[in-house]
Amino acid sequence: MARQERGGGRRERREELPERQFQWVVPKGRKATVYEDITLDTQPSVHRFLHNGYFVSYPDGRGTWDDDSTALDVLGWHAFRDPAELWERPYYQQGAQCEREIEAATQGARADGLLAGIDPSWIEFLRRDGQIPAFLEHGIWSITTRRSRAALSDVLTHAIVLYAAMKQRQAQALVIEGMDLDADFGDITIEAAKDRWRTEPAWQPTRALIERLGTITDWGELLVVTGLIVEPLLGGAVRRELLMRGALAAGDPITPVVARNAQREGRWWQDLTTAFGRFVLTDAAHGDANRELLHVWREDWEPEALAALDALEPIFAGGGVDFTTARDRVRTDQEAVLAEAGLVDAPAGATA
Amino acid sequence: MATPTHRRRSVTRTHERIAQLGWDRDYHEPVPIYDTRYVFPDSAKDPMKQIMREYLPMQLEKDDRLYGGFDAALRADMPTKADERWLEVMKPLILILVFAEGAAGRCMSVVMDVVPNEELLNGYHVQFVDEVRHIGLQMGLARWYTKNTPDPAGWHNGQEFMSNNLITRAGVNMFSHAFTGDPIAAGITMMSVIETAFTNIAFVALPDVGARNGDFIQATTYSSVQSDEARHISNGYATMLTMLQRDENVPLIENDLQQAWWSVHAWVDPFVGAIMEYFSTDRSDEESYLNKWDRWIRDDWYRSYVEQLGKLGVDIPPTLFDRARERLVDGLVHKTAPLAFAMWPLNFWRFDPLTEKDFEWLEKTTPGWYDEYGATWEAYAALADPAEGALLLAGLLEGAPPMCWSCMLACVIDHDMCHRVCEDRHGVERTRFYCSPECRWIDESNPGRYTGDRNYFDRHHGKALSELIIESKLIRSDGKTLVGQPHLKQEGMWTIDHIRACDFTVTSPNIVSAEAMGLPSGSWHDPSDLHGAVQADGNGFKPIRVDHDDRVANPLTSMAAAAAGGKNWVAL
Repeated sequence: MARQERGGGRRERREELPERQFQWVVPKGRKATVYEDITLDTQPSVHRFLHNGYFVSYPDGRGTWDDDSTALDVLGWHAFRDPAELWERPYYQQGAQCEREIEAATQGARADGLLAGIDPSWIEFLRRDGQIPAFLEHGIWSITTRRSRAALSDVLTHAIVLYAAMKQRQAQALVIEGMDLDADFGDITIEAAKDRWRTEPAWQPTRALIERLGTITDWGELLVVTGLIVEPLLGGAVRRELLMRGALAAGDPITPVVARNAQREGRWWQDLTTAFGRFVLTDAAHGDANRELLHVWREDWEPEALAALDALEPIFAGGGVDFTTARDRVRTDQEAVLAEAGLVDAPAGATA
Repeated sequence: MATPTHRRRSVTRTHERIAQLGWDRDYHEPVPIYDTRYVFPDSAKDPMKQIMREYLPMQLEKDDRLYGGFDAALRADMPTKADERWLEVMKPLILILVFAEGAAGRCMSVVMDVVPNEELLNGYHVQFVDEVRHIGLQMGLARWYTKNTPDPAGWHNGQEFMSNNLITRAGVNMFSHAFTGDPIAAGITMMSVIETAFTNIAFVALPDVGARNGDFIQATTYSSVQSDEARHISNGYATMLTMLQRDENVPLIENDLQQAWWSVHAWVDPFVGAIMEYFSTDRSDEESYLNKWDRWIRDDWYRSYVEQLGKLGVDIPPTLFDRARERLVDGLVHKTAPLAFAMWPLNFWRFDPLTEKDFEWLEKTTPGWYDEYGATWEAYAALADPAEGALLLAGLLEGAPPMCWSCMLACVIDHDMCHRVCEDRHGVERTRFYCSPECRWIDESNPGRYTGDRNYFDRHHGKALSELIIESKLIRSDGKTLVGQPHLKQEGMWTIDHIRACDFTVTSPNIVSAEAMGLPSGSWHDPSDLHGAVQADGNGFKPIRVDHDDRVANPLTSMAAAAAGGKNWVAL
């Protein structure tokens, strides 16, 4: 009985008692969100709470975490927030929903006999190039997941891990689509796609770019290069302009669902990395130096990404998609992304 | 009836296709940022066959059940039905386990950075996603306790408290081994030891104790976590089998597995053992921690896993395993407990005096317990009331054993304690104490690994306890009542004024012990360093020569020599 009385009293004062709030959480808004409560400072650091330093270090002198793991610098990495506040439960909800939609589209297309209505030339395109974007996504996954550990806050680490997980889901969804279509149309194999990924000249600049991503040792550079350059240019071109628009024009009821879900996930990463850009560029102490660095990275990566995009013109032609229009769209959108990140002035007519 | 259009997709065939996504690089080879001593064979096997289309709905289903359970537990008024003593220890336990989950995830990332075998990478990555899930679940549980349990004090600043508390900071140290240093050694620490051996204790045996104490939501949460661990254990086994394909790796595995075992044992056994044996008021369980350890660690891990590795060419003598068990029999848990509990003013949880029922259970499960420890616990009870105006800590800290440099817990087994004198980075001789020859061996064979201001008391030597409490923010929002308390009552709580009245000054057992033994300074605290560490903070720390007796002349060659068996720990 005594406990029940304490329990009742507790409920009355619950909102007022500071002990009932995580006082270490500095909320972005008036009150801490669930995302903030369960994420922030789960990765302690010498800048946040490890007042005695790191207890375990590398033989070469790097601490448990290393401030030099990125050339970027800010007053406090812990202040960065994912604008979408993605945590594990909504991640699983959204990811599972993506897979359900694709599965339903596949089963529905079969049940309603829609596969027979797909333009045969598009089937040929899918047979030839439909699964190749899976290698692009998988390649980004491969480097992203390796750099997640070095990131200097829990928010950043979790975001990078979930981005990698999305890339892997997207890659697998394309492979599974190919597997399903193989059952219906035949001669759609992953082996042939892999061979073409490795040998077709039009894909080689893309492959070289993706392989070069694997040489990035700076997690901050990886966020900037994927979020502001590679995804808007190549990701947007391949997923939205080639796969989605091409499939819609060809009466393909499955591929647009695969691509649309990937694009939906892609917008989360775009919002996160543009917020990251604004975060580092507006840092009171290091913003100017960060701006110089982002320009260097842009100059280092953007020409190669554009060259890879340009090399895909025959692939677009094979899918019946006008390359010039597609290129103009993604280029304009990338300019908007760069502007959103605060790296350039906003262009006129941006749609991103 | 299924229509012909609804075909079941073969998991094996799907995985075979997905496994084709890797390719040999022609334009640029990946650049790792971590170094490993291991060499890799050409082929490996992925035991997980995890496909996102299956994985995502599976995890969502588990999440839905668990988060629904949180609501159900509230409706069932579980916060007031669960035992309050048990609820208190959830504060350090859950927060250090959240750090452990983060360590496990980051372990996957470092392993992926060096393992070239595409077959293994997917499993590692899915594990990292699992670990993000586990952080969410356990911080969700922490949040639930904070909002709903009788006394939330301690939760409110839990992450800062956890990082600096005597006991949990040693846990930070231990779990950091799992994602810092050689990635494969880190992987062995996490996957082959922590997950394969100790998750059964932490996520199965411990929740059983929780359920006996009315805390069903903790048991529900950790059961959900444990449902992922089987896959993580598979990751560890696949890694082990892959590495064993190359003979050069065998001595490295023998070294790293033994060191990992010892480091994990040195912290987990006293910590989890104390939780199970002291924080349970339900005494219906007739198993002591040692009984559970024999079941889960000896039978399920050592005999079923480590011994079987012998068939694969891994020669690991039983010595370290036997030594760990011997330390438990010698009272590792019970000898560690008194100082840890006497530290209550510096803890962020409460603990009430043991009752007659507790005494009976402890004597029954550990014959001779009362004769050895009973008086200390009676003193704990007698001094729980602030009106007594005295602290058990005052009696225990004087003459307390020093803290171990490697595992950071007290050197409580007298005949195991050892030390060495080595030069710091300024060339000044200082004394490092170790709880065991094994902890000394681990420090000596891993130069540069242990950094930071490690000895808890050194920094506070000569400081008033009241000052340390305030500095540590261990005061409730009323501005005077301590977070930690030696009882669970709402009346008669200790305040900072009570502590001031005790007029107690903290001393470092390391400094005192070194002085008493006529050794060079036992302090490794440097007030001029940003983080108070003679060996610096890890950020910017440069490898130094710590080879006073020329045991480790060069970090890299000595690591290799130690790994190759050149430094047999028995020789210590």
